[in-house]
Amino acid sequence: MEAELQALVGQAESGKDAIGTRPQLADFKATFVGPNGSLTSASKAIGQLPKEEKPAFGKKVNEAKQALEAIFRAIEGRIDYAELAAKLGPPIDPTLPFPDDIPGTEHPLTQTRDRIIGIFRKIGFTVEDGPELETEFHCFDALNTPASHPARDMQDTYFLPGNFAIKGERKKDGESFILRPHTSAVQIRTMAKRKPPVRILSPGRCFRRDTVDATHSANFHQVEGLYVDTNVTVRDLKALLDYFVKELFGSDAKTRLRPSFFPFTEPSFEMDVQTSNLKKLSGKWIEIMGCGMVDPNVFGHVGYDPEEVSGYAFGMGIERICMILHGIDDIRHFYQNDLRFLQQFKSA
Amino acid sequence: MKFTLTWLKRYLDIDKSPQEIEEALNLSGLEVEEVVTIGLPQLVNVVVGEVVKRGQHPDADKLSVCEVNTGGDELHQIVCGAKNFKEGDRVPVALPGAVLPGNFKIKKSKLRGVKSEGMMCSSRELNLGSDHSGLLILEGRPEIGTPINDVFPDGETVFDVAVTPNRPDALSVIGIARELAALFHLEMKKPNLKYSSAPQTGTSPLLECVAVEEPEFCPHYTAHCIHGVKIAPSPKWLQEDIEAIGLRPINNVVDITNWILMETGQPLHAFDASKLRGRKILVRSAKEGETLTTLDEKERKLAPGMHVIADAERPLVLAGIMGSIDAEVDDNTTDIVLEAAWFKPESVRLTARKLGLSTDSSYRFERGVDPACTTYAARRCIELILELAGGTYTGAPYVSGEAPAGNPEIETTPEYFNKKLGFEVGASIIQGTLQRLGISIKDSAGNWTVSIPAFRPDIERPIDLVEEFLRIHGTHNIPASPVKMSGIHTQDDTVATFNTNAGKHLSANGFNECYVYSTRSGAEVVKLLGQTADKLTLANPLASDQTHLRTSLIPGLLEVLRLNQSRGNDPRKLFEKGRTWHFDGKEVVEMVSISFLMLQEPLHRHWHPSPQNDFFTAKKTVHDILGIANFPADSLEFAHLDAPLWQEGHSASAGSLEKGVFVECGILDHKHVSDLDIKGTVLAGSCHFAPKLLRKKAGLASFANFSDFPPANRDLALAMDAKIPAGKVLAEIKKAAADACPDDFAADSVTIFDHYQGEHLPEGRKSLAFAIQFRSAERTLKEKEVNQAFESITQAMTSGTPYELRQ
Repeated sequence: MEAELQALVGQAESGKDAIGTRPQLADFKATFVGPNGSLTSASKAIGQLPKEEKPAFGKKVNEAKQALEAIFRAIEGRIDYAELAAKLGPPIDPTLPFPDDIPGTEHPLTQTRDRIIGIFRKIGFTVEDGPELETEFHCFDALNTPASHPARDMQDTYFLPGNFAIKGERKKDGESFILRPHTSAVQIRTMAKRKPPVRILSPGRCFRRDTVDATHSANFHQVEGLYVDTNVTVRDLKALLDYFVKELFGSDAKTRLRPSFFPFTEPSFEMDVQTSNLKKLSGKWIEIMGCGMVDPNVFGHVGYDPEEVSGYAFGMGIERICMILHGIDDIRHFYQNDLRFLQQFKSA
Repeated sequence: MKFTLTWLKRYLDIDKSPQEIEEALNLSGLEVEEVVTIGLPQLVNVVVGEVVKRGQHPDADKLSVCEVNTGGDELHQIVCGAKNFKEGDRVPVALPGAVLPGNFKIKKSKLRGVKSEGMMCSSRELNLGSDHSGLLILEGRPEIGTPINDVFPDGETVFDVAVTPNRPDALSVIGIARELAALFHLEMKKPNLKYSSAPQTGTSPLLECVAVEEPEFCPHYTAHCIHGVKIAPSPKWLQEDIEAIGLRPINNVVDITNWILMETGQPLHAFDASKLRGRKILVRSAKEGETLTTLDEKERKLAPGMHVIADAERPLVLAGIMGSIDAEVDDNTTDIVLEAAWFKPESVRLTARKLGLSTDSSYRFERGVDPACTTYAARRCIELILELAGGTYTGAPYVSGEAPAGNPEIETTPEYFNKKLGFEVGASIIQGTLQRLGISIKDSAGNWTVSIPAFRPDIERPIDLVEEFLRIHGTHNIPASPVKMSGIHTQDDTVATFNTNAGKHLSANGFNECYVYSTRSGAEVVKLLGQTADKLTLANPLASDQTHLRTSLIPGLLEVLRLNQSRGNDPRKLFEKGRTWHFDGKEVVEMVSISFLMLQEPLHRHWHPSPQNDFFTAKKTVHDILGIANFPADSLEFAHLDAPLWQEGHSASAGSLEKGVFVECGILDHKHVSDLDIKGTVLAGSCHFAPKLLRKKAGLASFANFSDFPPANRDLALAMDAKIPAGKVLAEIKKAAADACPDDFAADSVTIFDHYQGEHLPEGRKSLAFAIQFRSAERTLKEKEVNQAFESITQAMTSGTPYELRQ
């Protein structure tokens, strides 16, 4: 009897490899454990056994049954795997390109803006935003540039008609709304609503009534900065600029301050940079920003006491910085948006 | 402001090179735009040579092979292309090692296989003129081997300085010399007047009277009479001086006034005395309807408020700006009236601006001429005229008013300087530095009273003195130091944060960011807005395609799409962030906008097609952006959009300008897009936000506990008229579900999982299927109670409603 059981398991063992589908498996199972299966009929022999042999034989039947089930599971596992493989198809070619394979990009001017902002953010500057349509007061008068000032040339500024009205903005009689020529107006707005200390950046789009060529654009972008506190000095400005330039251009970058003139700062400077890692521009002094100590008259316009506070301001063109950093030779590329241009600046 | 090194050296013994002068000016605030050498520069290895033998090049008809003697032991063989010389001629020879103007380096070389040891030069190659037709034959036969710089006079160096508007004092050669004297610790040699004084008495028959009717405009006017001049071309030195700085020589008297203007910064005007009708000079406001033809031969219409110098009958000069052809000094002039005056800067500026006219004279008057210089300049000019054009200075000058005073004294202390600078500088250093600029300081126990020379109208306050000191002391003396910053409790403006985050989201999802101009063509804005387009017009546009403020970012993005398609690129998804402007019926509103475009299918083939984009892809992107703006998108109801740009039935909008937020999305109008020569179906979306809305403070989210018990799910399918918006039905089911559930459980989500139109449904009908999920916070729900709730929902949705239950 025992031998019969062993033979049965051996039979299953030797037949298992021939089973490749689920119906075959069902038939295969039936030949052993179905109502007429060989194990089923072998196990019926238990009825004829003397009582004391029954438990031992029962145990043997059970062992045989378990062995058979293990074989069935193995076959089923093999079938499962084969079915999945059939569903997945042949192996893929990992060198084929994926769909939608044009990477998204942030515009190089956005990247440069963020790079500049990131440098100043580390030392506690936060970003302020303001409207692009501005009043003459915010852009000129409050910045110590009265109407009669030679620096205020109407030729360079886009004006809106006299009857133009902007929601939430007031203007004086005879004053016009303009497309802002710089982002300093944001500094005025910020100071007018906030007490010192103030340490802000005002990035954004500006407008100049300019004929477009390789170096001039009628729309352009600036990042300006302002720090007002008690006792801010020229030396502090120099420290800030040295820091910024080393962050942007590398630790060997040197700065040079050339005295200059802006109505809203006194003293005023143009800052030049000299660095060794800018290919063609390496070793040359390159002008990159204007800066200076906030003119006391500007504080007067925003209700700060120039005896109590002092501050510095600086501003740079994002286009210019971007062109210098990446060696771009024509400002018009920024506004044409040829994908072959945009795709060159995939990571900041 | 242009000046030459020779001119400068008349006032300053300066032995610095042009490069040193350039750097010093640059670093003191007078930016040198350009340094140009005219004439022969200093050249090494360029000498006089004699052509000993001229032979034909074996392989080139146009070249000759010459033996040239330059005084050395051996002759030089030089291949030459010129024709105009013969054996025995002496010519300039550049030997190997020479560097000619234009950084042209001379080396030994071979020309068509024949060696050549140098180059014989033309005039142009030596910067001696424009002639390049042949070699420069040295007619005077200078000694062979003589350096070429010994044969010709030295060239001239011309500086062009960009003077900032605050520095009128630097708009003259004397002014520049003064600056350099201060920088290099040199002594200025301001030219002395030769005659001790002008005639004190008598009147000239040339002029009867000078009347200043507008003393506020012209506080100081002087007129000087010179009788019997002889008009002729100026001497060579004078012509060269003014030509070098870009002026055209006219005649001796006019050239002298121009020369003195450049020397002193004081504009002068010479009248032909015989053309002064009534022998009168009036300084007055122009009258309505008066005209004047300026020297540039343009007729100018004058208006009251503009100031003129007139005779008894007519205006003759736009005061401080330009003379007219009516009183011009010409070849027949013998008597002259010379004007030297001081005009109010703002008035000159206003008139010059109104007439669109800027001259050397107006440029200086606008910025502020040294009031103390008027008489000096007039006397310098008269001396030169007498010397170069002859004539007699007759009668005492006519003088009206007096020179305005310079700025008042400034009170300050040396401590103020140190406080503003942030580093210590000794009082004596500050004092010494300022004194070099002609600023004098009276010290009274550490309190300073500072006198400002009249030529510096820009110095009014202690802070201006700090700038002057630092400028001359040198910015390189500012010590380096680390950045020291204290914390300030402010956050980034959320408008900026939103823009940054939205841009990062879109670019991470395959969109390419574009930057397009904010000013657009009128035709485009009219197409979008119709009549109200004129509310967005600029007052002074420059280019005809940039006359209006943009009201949408989409047209610009379409241009980018077209450009890229036409260049064979594969544009698929584009976006821009920027401001747009909208008219609300009363005023213009500036909105923070983001727009995107995507092609429904990429134009370029791909082995593996991407899922096709449709309206809902655009809608999702709009929702993503609303989420980034922290705006509850569910509060917006989308409705069909009927607007130019958008395809009817396949586009939608939500929100409004009044609400402070509105969005649009869908397919762009096929015709509009194909008219632009754009291929493919274009999907787009826009989100517009009022800045105020983006600045709304979003509080921190508070945690709410959620259920640990399993949900129970039921599906409900309804058939209805196809026109009924799904959003409306969904809202109704949500409400019915809320009503149907008792207090201790709820339908915590209702979603649309199927939308069907077609077979098995009558025409014009559709079916929507909803999945409703019930859950209790306290227990596992029983079959019976869920069925009860679902039954109530079904009842509510199907009795007395346009919906019928679908089994």
